[in-house]
Amino acid sequence: MTIVKKSLPYLLAVVASFVAAGIFIALMGFDVFKAYQTILFTSFRTPNGFIQTLLKFVPLLLLALAFTIPLTAGKFNIGGEGQMMAGGIGAAAMGIMFADLPAILLIPLVILGGVIAGALWGLVPAWLLYKFNINEILTTVLFNFIAFFLIDYVCTGPWRDPAAGHPTTVLIGRGGWLPMLINNPPLHSGIILAVLVAIGVYIYTSRTTGGYELVATGANPRAAGVFGIKTRRMFVLSLVLGGAVAGLAGAFEVAGNQHRLIEGMQSNFLQLGLIIGLISRGNNGAVPFVAFMIAVLEVGASAMQRTMMIPVEMVFIVEALILLFVLLSDVVRRK
Amino acid sequence: MDTTIIDFLRLVLLSMVPFVLAGQGTMLGGRTGVFNVAQEGMMLVGASVGFLVSFYSGSIFLGVIVAMLSGALFGLALAYFTTSLKMNQFVIGLALFFIGLGVSTLLPKLILGITLTPPLIPTLKSIPIPLLSQIPFIGPILFKQNILVYVSILVSIGLWYFLFRTQKGLELRSVGEYPMTADSLGINTTKMRYWSTIIGGMLIGLAGAYLPMVYAGTFTEGMTMGRGWLAIALTFFGGWSPLPILYGSLFFSAIEVLAFRVQVIGSFLPYQILQMFPYVATILVMILTFKRARVPGFLGNNYDREKRSL
Repeated sequence: MTIVKKSLPYLLAVVASFVAAGIFIALMGFDVFKAYQTILFTSFRTPNGFIQTLLKFVPLLLLALAFTIPLTAGKFNIGGEGQMMAGGIGAAAMGIMFADLPAILLIPLVILGGVIAGALWGLVPAWLLYKFNINEILTTVLFNFIAFFLIDYVCTGPWRDPAAGHPTTVLIGRGGWLPMLINNPPLHSGIILAVLVAIGVYIYTSRTTGGYELVATGANPRAAGVFGIKTRRMFVLSLVLGGAVAGLAGAFEVAGNQHRLIEGMQSNFLQLGLIIGLISRGNNGAVPFVAFMIAVLEVGASAMQRTMMIPVEMVFIVEALILLFVLLSDVVRRK
Repeated sequence: MDTTIIDFLRLVLLSMVPFVLAGQGTMLGGRTGVFNVAQEGMMLVGASVGFLVSFYSGSIFLGVIVAMLSGALFGLALAYFTTSLKMNQFVIGLALFFIGLGVSTLLPKLILGITLTPPLIPTLKSIPIPLLSQIPFIGPILFKQNILVYVSILVSIGLWYFLFRTQKGLELRSVGEYPMTADSLGINTTKMRYWSTIIGGMLIGLAGAYLPMVYAGTFTEGMTMGRGWLAIALTFFGGWSPLPILYGSLFFSAIEVLAFRVQVIGSFLPYQILQMFPYVATILVMILTFKRARVPGFLGNNYDREKRSL
C-alpha cells in the first residue's frame, strides 16, 4: 500500500507529461497516437529493439549512478561524460598495449583500466574541492571538455586506425572483448556487471555504515561533522566513486560495443544521466528503473525520427516534463 | 608586427562579449543569493532563438530582443522555483540547463527541418565611432567594434554604478548577504531576487545570441563550447563585482583567442592540447583566486521568512 502511495505522484507525473507533450506534438501537426506507439513499443516489439534498449540502458544506468552517488553526499558531479571518456581511454590503452594477453587476464585489465581512469578523472575535481574549496560543479564540467580533446588526441595519435575515416583507434586485443550473452543481435555481458554495480550501490548507501556516513553528510554536513564524520573526505570519496562508475561505462563501450575507442562515443549520455538522477531525486534504488524507462523512450524516439520524421529531441520534451512534474509533486507534498 | 598586436587585441575585445554578458548576468543573480548554473543551456537557447528570429525576420535587432526574452523566461523560471517554491538551486539550475540544451537543438530542427546546410544570417558589422576610431593603436582596438562590444562595456559600468553607488543597489546586495536583515529593514527580498534573476537571464540570453551573430552566422549544436560554465568561473574570478568581471573576461577571452591563433599558425604542440588550454587555464586560475574570492554570503541559499533562523 505504501509503495502504491509513494509511486502515485510519479505515475501521475509521467501521465501528465505524456498528455502535455502529446498536445504539443499534435499542435506541430504530427500523429500523436502513432508517435507514442512508436516511442513506447519499439523496445518491446522486436528482439532487436529490446536489445537496443538494454545496450542503451547500461551506460545510462552507470552515468546516472555517477551523478547520484556524489549527490548522496550532497555533491554535484556533472563530469560523468569526461569520466566515461577517461574510462574509455584507460580501457582502450590496456586493450591495445596488452593485446596479446588471454581473455582471462585482459578482460579484468581492460575493465580495471577504465574504472581507475574514471576514478582519477573524478579525483582531480574532488581534490580541488578538498584542498582549495573550488565548486565541484565547475571543475567536473571543465574536465568534460578536457577529456573531449584528450580522446580526440588519443584517437588521432599513435594508436590511430588509418583505415577509418572518423578518429578512432585500432581494435583492442581479441582477449579484451566482453563475452557476448547473445550473439545476434549482439548483447555484451557488461549489463550483468552494471546491474550488480547498481545493486551494490544501493546496498552500500542504504545498508552499510560507510554508506550511512555518505547519506548523513548529504543530509546535513554540519550535523554529520559534529558527530565525527569527516565530511570533506566523504565528498572526495563520493566523487571518486562516481568517477569510477562512469569509467566503467566507458570501459563497457570500448570492450563491449565498439572494441575500440571512437571520438564522440559519449553521445548524449551526460544529459540523460543527469535527468535520470534528477527524476530519481537522488534515490539510488530508483535509478535503475528510471534509467530503463528513459532507455525505452530514447530507443523509441530514434525509431520515431526514422519512420515519422519527428525530431528525436521531441522525446526530450516528455523527459523534461516528467522531471518538472516530479519536482513539482515534491512541492505539493510538502504543503 | 604592430598590426598583429592590434588584430589580436581587437579579437580579444570582440570575443570578450559573451563572457562579459554571461558573467554579469550570473553576478547579478548571485548578488541576491540565486546561484544560476543553467548558463550553458540559457546561452544555447539565446543563440538558437536569436539565430532563428534573425533569419526569419531579417532583423538582427529583433533576434537580439527575442533572445533576451527567452533568457528572461529562464530567469523567471529559476526565480520562481527557487525563491517562491524554495527548491534546491542546483537541481533547478541543472534541470534548466538540460531543458535549454534540448530546446536549442529541437527548435531549429522543427522550424528549419533536418538539413545538412543550415542557412546563414548576416553577422554584426563593426561600427567605427567617428573621431575616436582615428586614434592610432587604441582607435581600431576599442572604437571599431560591433555594437554589442560597446553595450557589454556600458552594461558593466552601469551595473557597477547601480550596485555600488545607488540605494537600490545597496539594498539588492544586502539581500544576497543577509536576507533576514534586509527583510527586517523592509526590503522586499522576493521582488529583488526575481528582478535580479530575470535581468541576469536577459544578459545571459544576449550572451548566447552573440555567438551566431558574430562568429558563425548560424546556429550549431553545442556552439557555446562551455562558455556558460566558464562564465561561472569568471564570476568567481571577478569576486562577483561588475568591473573585475569585465577585466577578467578580457583575460578569459585572450586565452581563447590565443589558443585559436596558435592552432592556426601551428606549433609543436598537438592542436588538441591547445584546445584544452582555456579549460585548464580556467582551473589553474581558480586555484589561484578561489580562496580569496569574495562571494555573496547567502549565495546558493533560499530565504524562507517564516523560518526562525537561516
